[in-house]
Amino acid sequence: MSSSGTIVMPGERISAIEEVAKSKRVILGPGLRRLDDTVVASKAGPLRHKEPNTFWVDNYQRRYVPARGDLVLGIVKAKAGDQYRVDIGSADLASISYLSFEAATKKNRPDLNPGDLIYARVLVASADVEPELVCVNSNGKRGKLGQLADGFFFKCSLNLGRVLLRENCPALAALTRRLPYEIAVGVNGRIWLKAHSLRETIALTNAILALEQAGYAEIDKVCDNLEDFLQA
Amino acid sequence: MNLPEKMDVPKDQLRQMNCEFNPLSRCDGSVMYTQGATVVIAAVLGPIEVKTQNLSIDGSYLECNYRPKAGLPQVKERIREATIRDVLELALLAEAHPHAKMSVQVQELEDRGSIDACAVNSACLAMLIGGLPLKFSFAAVHCIINDQGDYVLDPDQSETFHQRASFTFAFDSVDGDLLLVQTKGSFKIAQFNDIECLCRAASAQIFQFYRSQIAKYHGRSEAIAEKVKEQPEAMEA
Repeated sequence: MSSSGTIVMPGERISAIEEVAKSKRVILGPGLRRLDDTVVASKAGPLRHKEPNTFWVDNYQRRYVPARGDLVLGIVKAKAGDQYRVDIGSADLASISYLSFEAATKKNRPDLNPGDLIYARVLVASADVEPELVCVNSNGKRGKLGQLADGFFFKCSLNLGRVLLRENCPALAALTRRLPYEIAVGVNGRIWLKAHSLRETIALTNAILALEQAGYAEIDKVCDNLEDFLQA
Repeated sequence: MNLPEKMDVPKDQLRQMNCEFNPLSRCDGSVMYTQGATVVIAAVLGPIEVKTQNLSIDGSYLECNYRPKAGLPQVKERIREATIRDVLELALLAEAHPHAKMSVQVQELEDRGSIDACAVNSACLAMLIGGLPLKFSFAAVHCIINDQGDYVLDPDQSETFHQRASFTFAFDSVDGDLLLVQTKGSFKIAQFNDIECLCRAASAQIFQFYRSQIAKYHGRSEAIAEKVKEQPEAMEA
């Protein structure tokens, strides 16, 4: 990924993309829109480019806007008919059918109650309808999706969530070297964490949240300070 | 408060601007913005769930609240609230999030002049950091004609006691179009035109400020992007 990272502001015309668009088809990601024959930014942040033809604005955001295929953490809010209503941090509550769980049948319903946490994939996401989730893949297997029991749940910015989800994320690798833990990160800026003891869980939580607070440049320092968090 | 006094700032200059992003933890984006000694906090939430009565299928519903420093909002605050909403409505890319609500809260902390302009600017910064889609950013500038007939840009409250006329203009960042005109007092049309030019020039400075603040905020996250990029290469080596 080339992170040229020039800052763009809403309304700014981005002629660099228009140039590329002349020779090949381009994909405009979040924060960019087409206005007649021009490409215009609608959010403020660094412009990113991924070869060969994908562009987006990597702005700071805390509010999740659902997109198809995203892996998210949600809290079950209610049972409604043959669906659960799930809060995934978007404008509307998402819905998930009883039958979108592994080995679920009309007789054998999953045992979920309001307040439970699930890790799910967004199946339908459109601005006009409420999002729909699933907890199985196309083969009907659950994989790593489904209910998350025990552990600790907290929220962060979408940017931090994405940073943790990147391949070879140095932060998680550095934390792994010190403590064993289990983690589920949703692109909706929600994290579930489980370690051996409560103290370790809280220390890891603080370390991860410190990445947001301290600025991302200081991962090593934060990881070195993990012992401080453990003692605190 | 040891904020710079307007007295030190020339009449054709804006007072010192400052901002801090996300001082509040529970909203989607917030900013504490100061212009001279005037301080406001603005917060945005959105897109969020909307009440059925306000629901619109072709655009988001915009809600704006303005809270005075003390007490409940009165008529004056309601007018200010409507002003901010009118400007925001023009700038917001409403069609991006139908069936949703965008909510903007502005809390006045200290009014030492130009509070209207300050409130509008803080709302813009909050929208920028909250990641709400905008057609353009916008900036408001306040200017008065004092009793000597001089133009004073972005005056401190102490300079406004003997004003002949007061003006607030808001401009968009793309075409420089006027989004808001508020005038009070008596003035000639030539003076109005002069002051519009003066404010337009000053708005460029505010847009520059927005950009530098956003760049500064994102500067901290640049480092990790580089780091992640380097990692795989290091592994191969």
